[in-house]
Amino acid sequence: MKHILVIAEIFEEMIRPVTWELVAAARRIMDLENSGLIKIITLSDDPLSLADKIAEQTGVDVIGLKIPGCMGYDSDVYKQALSWLIKNMEPSHILTAHTSQGRDFAPGLAIRLKAASISGVNKIKSDHKGLIYSRSVLSNNQNMILRPVPGIPVVLTIMPGIFKFDAHENIKKGQMDIFEAPFDFGSDSSGSICHKRIIKKACENKVLKQADIIVSAGRGIGEKENLEKIFQFAKCFSFSAVGASRPLVDTGWIGYEHQVGITGAVVTPKLYIACGISGSSQHLAGMKDTQFVVSINSNPHAPIFRHSDFCIVEDAVEFIQAFLKCKADREY
Amino acid sequence: MKILICIKQLSDSKDISRFDAHALEEAILLKQEFENQGIDLAAVDVVTIGPLESSKIIKRAFGVGADRGYHIVTRDYEYISSFETASKLAVVAKKRSYDLILTGIMSQDLMAGQTGPMLAEMLGFPCVTNVVKTNLTLENHSIEVEQEMENGFRDCLSITLPAVLTIQAGINTPRYPTLSKMLTAGKKEIVTFNEAELFPGEAEPVRARETFVSMEYPEKTRSGHLLRGSLIDKAGELLSILQEKNLV
Repeated sequence: MKHILVIAEIFEEMIRPVTWELVAAARRIMDLENSGLIKIITLSDDPLSLADKIAEQTGVDVIGLKIPGCMGYDSDVYKQALSWLIKNMEPSHILTAHTSQGRDFAPGLAIRLKAASISGVNKIKSDHKGLIYSRSVLSNNQNMILRPVPGIPVVLTIMPGIFKFDAHENIKKGQMDIFEAPFDFGSDSSGSICHKRIIKKACENKVLKQADIIVSAGRGIGEKENLEKIFQFAKCFSFSAVGASRPLVDTGWIGYEHQVGITGAVVTPKLYIACGISGSSQHLAGMKDTQFVVSINSNPHAPIFRHSDFCIVEDAVEFIQAFLKCKADREY
Repeated sequence: MKILICIKQLSDSKDISRFDAHALEEAILLKQEFENQGIDLAAVDVVTIGPLESSKIIKRAFGVGADRGYHIVTRDYEYISSFETASKLAVVAKKRSYDLILTGIMSQDLMAGQTGPMLAEMLGFPCVTNVVKTNLTLENHSIEVEQEMENGFRDCLSITLPAVLTIQAGINTPRYPTLSKMLTAGKKEIVTFNEAELFPGEAEPVRARETFVSMEYPEKTRSGHLLRGSLIDKAGELLSILQEKNLV
């Protein structure tokens, strides 16, 4: 039986929850293939406690790879250690998260393993010829379905927030194997990448995270001056805040504390009004658990409409003006 | 110091992919930085893969200050896997010994984000993806960069050259081509390659490791009720809906 390998995601010596989603995706593959043996790999200077926790939470067997001097994520260390370990295991699948870490090392690992490589997988299906994988393309407007060529392993980066891990009541703890990698990265000063420090962008987004109602602006508002309309619109609601998509923050129209998305704030308000936002996957992941979503966009094919309760195909700024007028009329 | 930027033309708008425009701008900024330090040895080359009309984005790159252009000519805007793209780019990258290779974090259309890290692996270079800041040090022949992570965290790294960096949007504001540069751009030669020239003597040079099956529309996750009527009708209806729900 071939191995389905899951690479646990570790950040600052903590297991990232996306690891459980990877296990769920691995189970999906095992179910569709009707075969396979799932194993989770974790890399650390001291992997015992991490491996123990993963084995306990998932009930899956864990390989802890002890790498002296590995104090955090490093692409060279991950690629070298994982390719060394995995080469002898002849896996069918290697799963990592489609996150800053996974996206960083997975393509290079695939080259080292002479494997196929599919990134940002959002669905796993099978047809008469075997497993096929869906990934988002064209600014989230469509999914492209790909099939890895047979006979070689496939490295997959799995989109976070798609596969749900359901924890059983009585999980029997998985087995643990701790290996020591035959290289010492700690004393190796000739490494080509040197990690200096991790910084956190100063950001006060409490207002956004605590708001009941968020009115968010995207590139569709056209020009910076129109942000004023967004703020005016937000004032119609109590406990409201103004959000923004990444491009608006990148161009400096509005501060980072307003950014909604994976790299900004993940929000769960009662009402989210997306104004001129097309709906990139990174933005959607930041607001998908909102109770009620309204989207205003002049493009009827904007991906955000697929993830909205109410869709309004209009220029966002013109619509806001009409809304404010209606509201003033009714109050009068 | 020689810099290569890998750029892609979008099949619909014929524009340069947004993230590649940021990579190109970052290279031009680094070149200027060199010149400011009195070191005039920076060459900025660009390479693209695409049909003949993709030379448009190479000319645009000349217009913002690129020195040389390489064009790997394909028949059409066909689907090319990241593995094939990286394999082809590697051949061109090996022709001159580049110190730094930049590309966008992903292409705007296919969004795979694999070409840069795969190219690095094929060349045996270290790679940092998702770069939001660069700082030229010249110390130990390295460059300092900041890599964006989730939740506002950034990893500050120093990476030994030669290296590959993939550039995130927001790192800079791409400039427009200047008229004077565009005029001289027309006279600059673009070196073209076809597949047979890239991989001489090989019957089947590079084979994709995953094949295209089909395209699908993503599923809806919410009901997506469409409001109808005139602008003012829709505004009134939304107001009523929100009032009913006690949200306004």
